[in-house]
Order: sequence, then structure tokens, then C-alpha cells
Amino acid sequence: MIKTLELTKVFRTDEVETTALNKVNMEISRGEFVAIMGPSGCGKSTLLNIIGLLDNPSGGKLFFLDHEVSKFTERNRTNLRKSNIGFVFQSFNLIDELNVFENVELPLLYQKVSASERKRRVEEVLDRMKISHRKKHFPQQLSGGQQQRVAIARAVVSKPKLILADEPTGNLDSANGEEVMNLLSELNQEGTTVVMVTHSPTDADKAHRIIQLFDGHIVTENIKQIV
Amino acid sequence: MKDLSIPIPGFMDYDNAEIILKVGGKHIQYNFRVVSFPWDDDKDTSIYNDPLARSLARIYRLKGAIEGYDKQWELIQIFNPSENASHIQVLYRKRK
Repeated sequence: MIKTLELTKVFRTDEVETTALNKVNMEISRGEFVAIMGPSGCGKSTLLNIIGLLDNPSGGKLFFLDHEVSKFTERNRTNLRKSNIGFVFQSFNLIDELNVFENVELPLLYQKVSASERKRRVEEVLDRMKISHRKKHFPQQLSGGQQQRVAIARAVVSKPKLILADEPTGNLDSANGEEVMNLLSELNQEGTTVVMVTHSPTDADKAHRIIQLFDGHIVTENIKQIV
Repeated sequence: MKDLSIPIPGFMDYDNAEIILKVGGKHIQYNFRVVSFPWDDDKDTSIYNDPLARSLARIYRLKGAIEGYDKQWELIQIFNPSENASHIQVLYRKRK
């Protein structure tokens, strides 16, 4: 599903040049659950943003669903992203001015799904995330765990093939964190590919494969933890 | 409550920390180890004048050290080395 060849990302300012990713080669198959770990500043989120077509690599190639996307125009990347990729962020990134229903509905509006179909799909996913009773509430009226369930609902409402999660439990207590991880595992068991950046070995235990990044390099992978 | 954070005073390179939990009458044992691999070691990396080549040499050596490490132990975390650190610390957990 995803393949990178010598993927490189360099951030430049007038004075400093920082290589966030240095010739990263990796492959992620459909249906996999992959965790990306590593210390702060190792390039985890940069890699996730590039895989998620939110950012461009400085060099190398990125293949997504058999398309070589590194040279895609912004419009083509946006089209590919909105119909195939769902994002879950540590800080939820819900829109405060929209209520729960409207937040979850948003990706379907971008896809020009009809109003009746939007209503059906949003209600279905809110039921699944056990958050229907809060559909008229605004994000600030919800707990962190509830906000993350809404964020996951928004990520999956358009039935993406890939979910990218950046520290999805980072702002949650352990009980809500476990619930979020169970939701991601369930979605993966139903066939959605999940790629998750995490600092938590406990969360990484849910993955099939763990990629350890350090200084923009893949240092090791395929370590499945056992506890 | 699902996690416990336990400070371990004086936990040194290659020390083993053995943690035994008793949950509902059942004992659960974990073994952790911090291993210190060479990092900015003048003997091996000072031959590279170019910072990028030096950085690559450090990474490849770390990669080799991790690949060659005892397979009974699984890598949990690589810690960021401090500036000019001669060694880099890596946390392992014993496989069950």
C-alpha cells in the first residue's frame, strides 16, 4: 500500500539545515498495523505527514496505492488524501465552532456526499464510537476521551483505506487511551491499514510491526513485543 | 489505573531491573535492561571530517549493535544521547 524509496526530508532555514528523514526505505502492506517509535526529533511525525500526503519529501520516492505520489500536484494529492486517508492527532484537532455531528460530517461534505447519506453515515459512526448522545455538543463540552472518539469517528466516516495516528493516546488518561487503542485495533481487524506514531510501548504492543526511527533513519523493525 | 511509573535510583548501563508485580494473587515478572552502545566515540568516528558522514557512521554502528544484540531481549526505546555523549542508551525488555 505504501512504499518509500530513499525518502528524504530536509528542513532549511537561512542558517541551519536539518535532515529529518535520511533515505528511508520501507514498505507497508494493506491490512497491516504498524507502529513508528523513536525519541523526540527522530523524524516520526515528519514521516507520518509525508505518508499522509500533508507534506512533500525533499528527495526519494513515495508510492501510495501504486501511484508515485512524490511528484503529484497539490490538487491530486488532496484528492487522493481525502478519499483514502483518515487522520487522528494527539490534540484531536476538532473544530471548536462545529458540534460533534458537524465535525464528523465535514469529510463527507468535502467529498460531496448527499445530505441523506451524510446523515446516515455520521449517525452510524457516532453510534459505533458510543458518542451519539453527544452529537449536539461542542468539542469544549466533551472530555478528552470523548473528543478523541469524535476525532476517530471523523477519521473513519469516509471509510478510508489508511488511518494515520500521531500519538493518539498522548493527551488521554490510561483508561481512555486503552479504549482508543482498542478502537484502532478493531478498525485494523476489519481491514483498515493503521500506521501510528507513539512513544508508548504499551500502545505499540497492539501493532503487528514496530519501526524504530533514530536521527531520520530506520534503525530496526519487525520487533513484535510480547508482554 | 493501568500503568505504574517506578523511579529506579542509580540504574546504570547494563544493570538489570527486575520488576515483580502481584495482580489478583498472580505474579507477573518483567526484566528490563539499559544497554549503552558506543556513540560519539572518537576512536571510530573522528576519521570523518564531514558532519554528515560522521552522523551516518554513528547511525550505522548503532544499527549494527542493535542487530547483533542478544535476541532474548527486545528493544523498547532508544534514548536521545546528550551532546557529545560517548555512548547512547537503549532500553530492552526480556522476551517471555
